[in-house]
Amino acid sequence: MSLLLEILSPDFLLRNALYGGLIIGFVAPLVGVYLVGRRMIFLGVALPQVSTAGVAGAFFWHALFHRHEHPEGDFWLALSGSTVFTLAAILALAVWENRSRARAEERTGVLYAFAGALSLLLVASDRIAEIGILGLLKGEIIAIPTDELLVLAVGYAVIVAALWLFKKDLLLVSVDRDLARSFGKKVLVWDLVLYLIIGTTISLGVLLAGPLVMFGFLIVPPLIAGRLTTGIRHLPLAASLFGGLTAFVGFAVSYKLDWPMGPTDVALVCVVLTLVVTTQTVLGWLRRAS
Amino acid sequence: MNDALVSFEDVALGYDGTPVLEGLTLAVRPGDCLALLGPNGCGKSTILKAMAGIVPPIRGIVRSTLDGRPVRFGYVPQQETLDLVFPMTAAEVVEMGTYGRLPLGRHVGRTERAQALTCLEQVGAAELRRRLFHTLSGGQKQRVLVARALAAEPDLLLLDEPLNGIDAPTAAAILTLLGRLNSEQGMTILLVTHHLGGVRDVIREAIWVHAGKLLRGPASTMLAPEQVRTIIEEDFLS
Repeated sequence: MSLLLEILSPDFLLRNALYGGLIIGFVAPLVGVYLVGRRMIFLGVALPQVSTAGVAGAFFWHALFHRHEHPEGDFWLALSGSTVFTLAAILALAVWENRSRARAEERTGVLYAFAGALSLLLVASDRIAEIGILGLLKGEIIAIPTDELLVLAVGYAVIVAALWLFKKDLLLVSVDRDLARSFGKKVLVWDLVLYLIIGTTISLGVLLAGPLVMFGFLIVPPLIAGRLTTGIRHLPLAASLFGGLTAFVGFAVSYKLDWPMGPTDVALVCVVLTLVVTTQTVLGWLRRAS
Repeated sequence: MNDALVSFEDVALGYDGTPVLEGLTLAVRPGDCLALLGPNGCGKSTILKAMAGIVPPIRGIVRSTLDGRPVRFGYVPQQETLDLVFPMTAAEVVEMGTYGRLPLGRHVGRTERAQALTCLEQVGAAELRRRLFHTLSGGQKQRVLVARALAAEPDLLLLDEPLNGIDAPTAAAILTLLGRLNSEQGMTILLVTHHLGGVRDVIREAIWVHAGKLLRGPASTMLAPEQVRTIIEEDFLS
């Protein structure tokens, strides 16, 4: 109880980390519902990695042309790199989807491998090590400046508003593209809107939480909610609640045990999924046995 | 063709710029009840999709207007093509039929939910409304998809192989429903099928997709055993 009171105190030293984690925990699953529903889970791994490569690329570019000077406004530089790389990757994937004969998972797999390799190469270069962005790339959620938190909050508020406003159309093109076309909907335009939402969510989230946490919160809460709800109406809300609750409990556990916050959150949400699957399996056995 | 709901004028259809069918001319008028027949792979579904605006023509003109506004389609896809990962209930699938009429930013409300239930009742599937779509049998899915098409309040109901993979009683029930919709409500219907026997009593006209051309005539003539034998033999030999 005292831990809870300490964490919830307005003077709590790490309150921005808590708020940042909660915002990502509540909002990322709302976007992840579409990744799961459209069988694009692997994209949820690849895009955060691309976003990370974008951050590394932006710092590498800065170091290359500014003689190793520490860049002013790390966050904006990183955000630019992350956003440009993520949106470029999404655009390329959307174009390939219509033109390439390769399967979607092949394209996404190649993208993931390339982005992962590029990130490691850029981070390993002496230019970047000097200006120390490893913490940013790892997604250390401990120290989030208030202005960066504000950018995340505003950005994610816009994403939630877009998801609400376009819910019907995004669902329609995700579930039955032919039906959408028969209603006169521009499927490619709605795909791009969805990809833009996914890209913005990832590029903002990766900066504060890192690729592992983003993937965890995008994918696992919708999988839990999908097992516990019937129907699409309550699925996004349930996924969001699971994500937010896990982010809060994960923060408390990591603070109490002095564990890194991101991996604690992801491990916790995976434990919850395992418990749900196991319980449902056992209940199924018992039902059949009786 | 001025009074047609949908008309094809010298249309070529195909995929990736390669025509499968060329020189198609066709009109579907209000009140028609048509079957589009032919062997597998002859392009029946492509014609249906071109009517609904799902597949654009490579050449020619496809018109679909009614009283100066776009025709509203009720599209029933082949049920196995709708592979849902989203855990949607039957009622939610039917509600999707109303999406085309709702303006941007407006969501499904009480009116649309009530209408979806009415459509499920119409196809005799109201008891399925809370069941997850992916857990339904082939026949049940087909009924739900017909209900979804009805929820669109269509001017033209387009059904792609609605009798595939379902048992004989369910197929008969679906055909009876279609016949009733056409005769009692005047709904215009076009269905793609290769189940010749079942549709004989329901449709008024049939269109054979034969040797890349469309042969249209009254159902009694086009489904006469001699006509069917001739067309099938020619298709087989070609």
